[in-house]
Amino acid sequence: MSPADTANGASSIVLRINGEEMVVRAALHDTLLTVVRDQLQQTAAKRGCNQGVCGACTVEIDGRTARACLTLAHACVGAEIRTLEGVQDEPAVAALQDAFTAEQAFQCGFCTPGMLMSARSLLEHNRCPDESQIRTALSGNLCRCTGYVKIVAAVRSAADALRQEEAAS
Amino acid sequence: MTTLQGLHRPRSVEEAIALLQRDPEAKPISGGATLVAMLNARVIEPQALVSLAQIDEIRGISCLSDGRIRIGAFTRHRETAECGLALGEASVVRHAASQIANATVRNMGTIGGSISFADPGLDYPPALVAADASIEIASASGRRLVPAHEFFVDWYTTAVEPGELVTAVLLPKPEGGHGLYVKHCRVAGDYATASIAIAMQRSGHVRAAVGGCGPTPLHDAQADEILSADRSDAAVARAGELLEQKADPLDDVRGSAPYRRRLIPRLLLRAVREVELARGNVE
Repeated sequence: MSPADTANGASSIVLRINGEEMVVRAALHDTLLTVVRDQLQQTAAKRGCNQGVCGACTVEIDGRTARACLTLAHACVGAEIRTLEGVQDEPAVAALQDAFTAEQAFQCGFCTPGMLMSARSLLEHNRCPDESQIRTALSGNLCRCTGYVKIVAAVRSAADALRQEEAAS
Repeated sequence: MTTLQGLHRPRSVEEAIALLQRDPEAKPISGGATLVAMLNARVIEPQALVSLAQIDEIRGISCLSDGRIRIGAFTRHRETAECGLALGEASVVRHAASQIANATVRNMGTIGGSISFADPGLDYPPALVAADASIEIASASGRRLVPAHEFFVDWYTTAVEPGELVTAVLLPKPEGGHGLYVKHCRVAGDYATASIAIAMQRSGHVRAAVGGCGPTPLHDAQADEILSADRSDAAVARAGELLEQKADPLDDVRGSAPYRRRLIPRLLLRAVREVELARGNVE
């Protein structure tokens, strides 16, 4: 017989988040987003639409971007999860954060953590993205304030800065 | 708060089928891209979920000994979009996969989950019909193959019966043709307002299907005959007109029914010209 979790309420599971094993209580319907925000108080990932449309909850699971709102917490046991909190010291993320500030690529900032996670994923694979590649990479992240011109400019200038940094070192 | 009381993790298709049969209220879950959104919105409130994540047999893409291509139901859109096999005319399926939503959703969603949902705006259904794919469905009595054009039955309705499970998509043995998918949508990543999937064999035989313009993908043998015999602008327009007449689109937020009808011949002409270019055989 298959193992089944039959707890009606929450049960304890171990999730590996940002390199640390965390014991959390999660009901079967709880999403990863609910657990990281409401229980672990890691609030970079935002609850926007809760439907997988807006991208504000973007995290990384086993090396690839994922919607935390569409991921059941119980399905993440054994996976390597990274949120923006866990990657902010990476050179690419630091460069993106500086560039978003310099380009004023946000107003309310609600979409920014998701934008950073998607842009980080782009820069991991492509250090020299053109405008169309940047737009494609961010197409799953909605911003309702600024439009996308400054966000695209920020990603491009972060890529430039990273390449310069890497050439200098 | 919730009715969800069980999460099963079977390791084989047979075990999954047994669970689904024992509990008619249970829902299978693969990538979660659709189902968890529905849970969040409380559109569905299943008693239990049967996770397909631990079933190795339904993961990945392989070439069978008879040349057919098997895409396991738990294959993510990203894997299908990046498939390195020579798919010939069935590359329409790979091209459609590459245009689903956005990179993050393609990391999550699976072909089995997508087609089981059967939203008319999805990208896979018309592509599978154009590719003349078959859907493998498992039940307690074994496996059956259903042609894609019979699999999609009505709005959000498929040939899958209670207690059954989609286990794979089978593409015909590639014969060196070309296929592609042309999609019109309001913004990047949206469902198709209307789309055309086209598969052209090396012989020049064409199979085309329309997405987003009715309860199921629209396929018409007469339109295929015209496109296979003559691809002048006038002939393509004639085929487009036929498809336009047979389409049964709805008015919704993505576009009015008349607008969708108008898109069909235009997208068809683009699809035909592009697939001819890809085939290196512009006439």
